[in-house]
Amino acid sequence: MSSSVDFQEFERHAPDPEAKKDIWKTFWILLGLTLVDLAFYFFIPVGMTRNIIFILLGIVKAYFIVGTFMHMKHEKMALILMIIVPVIFICALIGVSMYEGNFWFNLHWK
Amino acid sequence: MSHAAESTLPTKLWGGGRSPFNVEYGKLMMWIFLLSDAFTFSALLISYGTIRYSFPPAEVHASIPFGSHIEMEELHHFFTPSTPGAELAVGVQPHWPSPDLVFNHFPFLHGHHLPLLFVSLMTFILIFSSVTMVLAVEAGNRNDKQTVAKFMYWTIAGGIGFLSCQAWEWTQFIHAGANLQNNPFGPVAFADLFFIVTGFHGFHVLSGVVLNIVITSNVLKGTYERRGHYDMVEKVGLYWHFVDLVWVFVFTFYYLI
Repeated sequence: MSSSVDFQEFERHAPDPEAKKDIWKTFWILLGLTLVDLAFYFFIPVGMTRNIIFILLGIVKAYFIVGTFMHMKHEKMALILMIIVPVIFICALIGVSMYEGNFWFNLHWK
Repeated sequence: MSHAAESTLPTKLWGGGRSPFNVEYGKLMMWIFLLSDAFTFSALLISYGTIRYSFPPAEVHASIPFGSHIEMEELHHFFTPSTPGAELAVGVQPHWPSPDLVFNHFPFLHGHHLPLLFVSLMTFILIFSSVTMVLAVEAGNRNDKQTVAKFMYWTIAGGIGFLSCQAWEWTQFIHAGANLQNNPFGPVAFADLFFIVTGFHGFHVLSGVVLNIVITSNVLKGTYERRGHYDMVEKVGLYWHFVDLVWVFVFTFYYLI
């Protein structure tokens, strides 16, 4: 179905000649970070330090997926903030839930 | 096709008569949907974290060398047997299972201890299908129909490959005796959360594959060529990358930590 309304709501950007280079660069970064994950998994002993490294690497991977693949780097700041700022609710839930999980642990096993 | 040069848009972003975010409304709605979906997945993953945290942590078994031959029966004595509801009984301590003892299989290499290898392959497949998707979007910006179609085929193939891997992974876990009421590796909650979270993610991948097939058939029919732009490819692409993004965190919390 073709849009018959002649209302133009946004400015279309010209194709970016550098886009393909950026995509492949991001692919190699993501692949590299996943291999770093594997290296840490097999060579660093289990513990909180290792877990924090994994979570930080996950956030770095998320930055590259959202920024380059989802093109968010090139969006207007208002759109970026609208999507990124609500993530504080997720952070709040993580804090509350870890506290609750610790409470349950003490309730069952202490 | 409307070029930036012939733009009649108001220059004031928030003065009305245009999108203040300078995106097509469908794309904006896709972003808002993905944000709500991110909340859903976060709730599931945080539940996993909370419940896991409320159990004694996995015991470390560093004694099994990578690639060594190990049968399911030998593996069983590493785990405290658990019955439904046992985690609530006083004095019973079913430890949260260590994922590298649960997910250590690889097709055609049965009986070998190969933790993380298969799931790394799945991660690679999904990242690569994300790359082909974004290359399809890029070709769409240049109105290059043939290239869009080519990369959409690769993306669909990647999605089907990932789903097949997940089906195999589930089969292994179910054959080991796991279901929603029972888990031979430890607390039942581990199996429940595994099936619910990876199932919900797999359902998203399946929906993505269906959407990709619909979009590809439209590309081949020339729908977007006549329309003058490939915005639909971009919108479905956003969804596909989101599925990849969720997998990054499922991979981190289920298999790495």
